Amino acid sequence: MSSLTLLFVIAALGLVAWVLARTRARRFRRGARQRFSSLPQHHGWYVALCTVVPALTFLLIWYFVSPALVTDAVLATPRAAALPPAGFDRAGILSEAREIAAGRAYGAFTPLADALAPAYAAAQARFDAIGTVIALLLMFVGGAWSFMRVRPGFSARTRNERLVMVLLLAASLVAIATTVGIVLSLLVESARFFRIVPVGDFLLGTRWNPGVIDPRDPGATLGALPLFWGTFFIGAVIAMAVAVPLGLMSAIYLTQYATPRARRWMKPLLEVLAGVPTVVYGYFAALTVAPAVRQAGAAIGVTSASSESALAAGLVMGIMIIPFVSSMADDSLAAVPASMRDGSLAMGATSAETIKRVLVPAALPGVIGGVLLAVSRAVGETMIVVMAASGVATLTLNPFASTTTVTKQIVDLLTGEAAFASAKTLAAFALGLTLFVVTLLLNVVALMVVRRYREAYE
Amino acid sequence: MSKSLVPHVPVSAAEVAPHRPTDWRSDAMERRVRRRYAAERRFRLMGLGAVVVSAGFLAFLLIVMIAQGHLGFVETRVTLPLDLRQARLGLTAERLRGPGADLALAGAGLERAVDAAANRAFATEGGAALLSDGAWLRVRDAVKRDPHLLGRPFTLDLPVASAIDVAAKGNGTPAAERTVAALGAHLSRGIARDFLTGADSTDATRAGIWGALKGSLLTMFVTLALAFPVGVLSAIYLEEYAPRNRATDFLEVSINNLAAVPSIVFGLLGLAVFLGTLHLPRSAPLVGGLTLALMTMPVIVIASRNAIRAVPPSIRDAALAVGASPIQVVSHHVLPLAAPGILTGTIIGMARALGETAPLLMIGMRAFIAAPPDRLTDPATALPVQIFLWSDQVSRGFVEKTSAAILVLLVFLLAMNGVAIFLRNRFETRW
Repeated sequence: MSSLTLLFVIAALGLVAWVLARTRARRFRRGARQRFSSLPQHHGWYVALCTVVPALTFLLIWYFVSPALVTDAVLATPRAAALPPAGFDRAGILSEAREIAAGRAYGAFTPLADALAPAYAAAQARFDAIGTVIALLLMFVGGAWSFMRVRPGFSARTRNERLVMVLLLAASLVAIATTVGIVLSLLVESARFFRIVPVGDFLLGTRWNPGVIDPRDPGATLGALPLFWGTFFIGAVIAMAVAVPLGLMSAIYLTQYATPRARRWMKPLLEVLAGVPTVVYGYFAALTVAPAVRQAGAAIGVTSASSESALAAGLVMGIMIIPFVSSMADDSLAAVPASMRDGSLAMGATSAETIKRVLVPAALPGVIGGVLLAVSRAVGETMIVVMAASGVATLTLNPFASTTTVTKQIVDLLTGEAAFASAKTLAAFALGLTLFVVTLLLNVVALMVVRRYREAYE
Repeated sequence: MSKSLVPHVPVSAAEVAPHRPTDWRSDAMERRVRRRYAAERRFRLMGLGAVVVSAGFLAFLLIVMIAQGHLGFVETRVTLPLDLRQARLGLTAERLRGPGADLALAGAGLERAVDAAANRAFATEGGAALLSDGAWLRVRDAVKRDPHLLGRPFTLDLPVASAIDVAAKGNGTPAAERTVAALGAHLSRGIARDFLTGADSTDATRAGIWGALKGSLLTMFVTLALAFPVGVLSAIYLEEYAPRNRATDFLEVSINNLAAVPSIVFGLLGLAVFLGTLHLPRSAPLVGGLTLALMTMPVIVIASRNAIRAVPPSIRDAALAVGASPIQVVSHHVLPLAAPGILTGTIIGMARALGETAPLLMIGMRAFIAAPPDRLTDPATALPVQIFLWSDQVSRGFVEKTSAAILVLLVFLLAMNGVAIFLRNRFETRW
C-alpha cells in the first residue's frame, strides 16, 4: 500500500481509537458519583496518541532505513555478483536499477541495471509490506494496551501532558541534531580530505588550482590562502567600506534627526534591501555593476581592470549588508542612556557634536559587535560572488583585479562532474569547515562584545 | 571686546584674572557658532545622504530590472499566411473532434507544413528560420480549437525566433535588425504566454518559469510542513517548559548559532547527509525542502520565542489559578495570543527560504529540467536557481527572461512580506 494510503489509514484508525475511548469513558462517568481527574476526551486523546505515535515514529525511521535494507537484499541475489566490485560504477548501476524499479526511468544505459530492476522491485515490495505490517501491528498493540487502561481512576490528562512534553522535547532536539549533523558531516569529509592533503599545505599554500591536481602531491595546487585573502578582501574590506559608513550614517539619521513620520517609511524601505534575494544582487552585480566598475577602472588608468573584479562584488555585497549594520547601530544607539545625550545637549553641544563625541563613542562596542556580525554574514554570502567574482585565485591588493572567495570555490568544486570522494569534492567540505568555524567565531566574539556592552549600561 | 576669551588661544592666568562674562555677540563668537551650525547641517545632510544613497540603489536596481524584465512578458509575433490544404496533412475536421485528435495532430507533419509556409511567405527575409521552434505548436492549438481551419487559408500570429525577437525589442545584432526592418508591418506584439506556463528551454522564446515556480512551491511546501511545526513546538518547549540547566543552555546556543550559519553550509549538510548517506533522489523538491527546513527552523524558533515571551505572565497565572494544566495554559491562552507574531516570523522565514539559492545548488537542483515536476521526488529546479541558470546563458534572449523571472520572484516576496506586515499591524497586541 502506498505511503499516502498508509498515512490515511493511520489517521482513520487514530480517529476510531479516539471515538471508542471517549465513548467508553463517557459510559463509566454516567451515573457515577465520584469526581474524575480526566474528561472523556482526555481518555480519547490518550488512546489516539498511543495508537498513532509509535506507528508514525516507526514509519519515519523505516523510511530512512529501508532503502539500505533493500539494497542489501538486492546485493544478496546471484545476479548482483556481476556488479563491478566497488566505486562509482557500482553505485551508478544500483541507482539506475532503483530508478527503473520505481518507474521513474524508462530504458537503461547499462543492461545490468535492467536485469537488477526486477530484483529491486521485488525487494522493495517485500520491505514495504514488512513495514506496513509492523506499523499496523504497533497500532493495534498500542491501541489495545491503552484502551484497557481507560478506567475511572486512570488519570489520562496527566499522561497526555507527559506525552506532549516528550513531543516538544523531541522537536527541540531537531536543532541539536542539525548542529551535530553539520559538524559531523563537515568533520568526516574534511578528515578524509586531510588524509590526502596535509593541513599545512591547505591552510598556508598560496597556489589554488583544483583543475590540475597532481595525484602524487595534491596539496601543491590546493593551497587555500588566496581564497581566504579574497574572502577577507571582498567581504571584510570592500563590503564594509560601503556598508559601515552608509549603515551607520543612516542609523544616526533615522534615530536622531528624522521625524517619526519619515522614520516610519524610511526604515522599511532600507529593510527591503535585506529582503532582496542574493541571486538578484548577484545578477545585478554581474550585469550592471561589474561593467561599470571596469569602465571606471579603465577611466582612471587601471589597464588590468577585470570584468569580474573584487570591487563589483564587494560593492554590491556592501549594499546588501547596509540594513544589517544600520539596524545593529540603531539598537546600540538606542541603548545609550538618555541622560548622557541630554547632558551633552544641556552643555550647549549641537546634535552633531553630541552624536560624534558622546553617542557614537558610547555605542561603539555595540556597533563593533554589529560590524563583526555583518562581516560574518558577508563572508558566508554565496550568490553575489558566484555570479560576479571570478574563479581564478590571486593574491592581490588591487580592487580592480579578479579575486575569488571560499564560497565561490565551494560551489565551483561541487557543481562540476567529479566523483564524490575525489580530492576535489572533499576540498569543498574542508573549505566549508573553515567557513563554519570562522563565522562561528565571529558570531561568538560579536555576541560577547555586545553583551558586555549592554551590561555596562544596565 | 576682549579677544582673549576665544578658546584655543593660549592665555596666561594673569590675563584672564579679572573675570568677565563671555560676549556672545562678538565677531569671533558668532563666526564660531556659524561654523558649528554649518558642521551640524553638513552632518545632518550626510545622514540624509546615506539614506538616500541606499534607497537610491534599491530604486536603481528595481528600475533596471523592470526596464529589462517587462520585455520578458512580451513576445514578438509575425503574421504568417497559412493554407494547410496544400500540405496534404491527411487530417479531416471529423478526426480532430474524436478522441485521437492529439495523436493525429502529432503525427501529421504540421511542423514541416508551417516551415514550408514561412519559406514561401518570407523567402527573402529568412523563411522558416524566422520562426521560434515552438511556433508550429501554436498552429496545432489553433487547428485543434477550430478544425475548419484545415479547409481554408488563414493567417496566424506566430512567435519569432529569439534573435529576431531581441532585435525587434531594440538591441539585436545588425543582421537581425535588418530583418526586422524588412518584415516591418508583419510584426506585432503580444503577451508571452509560454513564459508564464512553460518550463525551462534552450530556446529563449519558449523558456518559461512555471516549471521553476512549481518546483519552488513544492519545495516551500516541504519546508513549511517540517519547519513550522518543529519550530513552533521547540519554541514552546524552550520558552514555557524547559528547565534552566546546562542542556537547555546548549540547546539555546545551538539554535542561535544555526540562525547565523551561512546558507551554503546547510547545502553541504544536505549533500553529505540526504544525498550521500540516505540516498534520497538528487534535484528533488523533497531534499531541497528538507535542507531549507533546517535553515528556516531556527528563524521560526527565534521569532516564535519572542512572540511567546511577549504574552504577559499574568495571563498564564490567571489560567493556572482556575485549574488549567500547563499544556492547557499554552494551547488555550498563550498560543492564540502569540499566533500573529509566530505567523509573521514564519512568513518572513519562508520568504527568505524562497529566495535562497546556494543550498539548492549544492544538492543538484541546477539541472536543466524541461518539464514541471509532478511529485516531491521528481527532478526539479527552483525559481532563484532558474534565475541563476538563465543568467549564465549566452543567448541574448535570456537577459530579459532573467529579469522577468526576477520580477516574478520579487512580486512573490513582496506579497509575502506585505502579508507579514499586515498581520503584525492588524493582530499584534501591545501589552
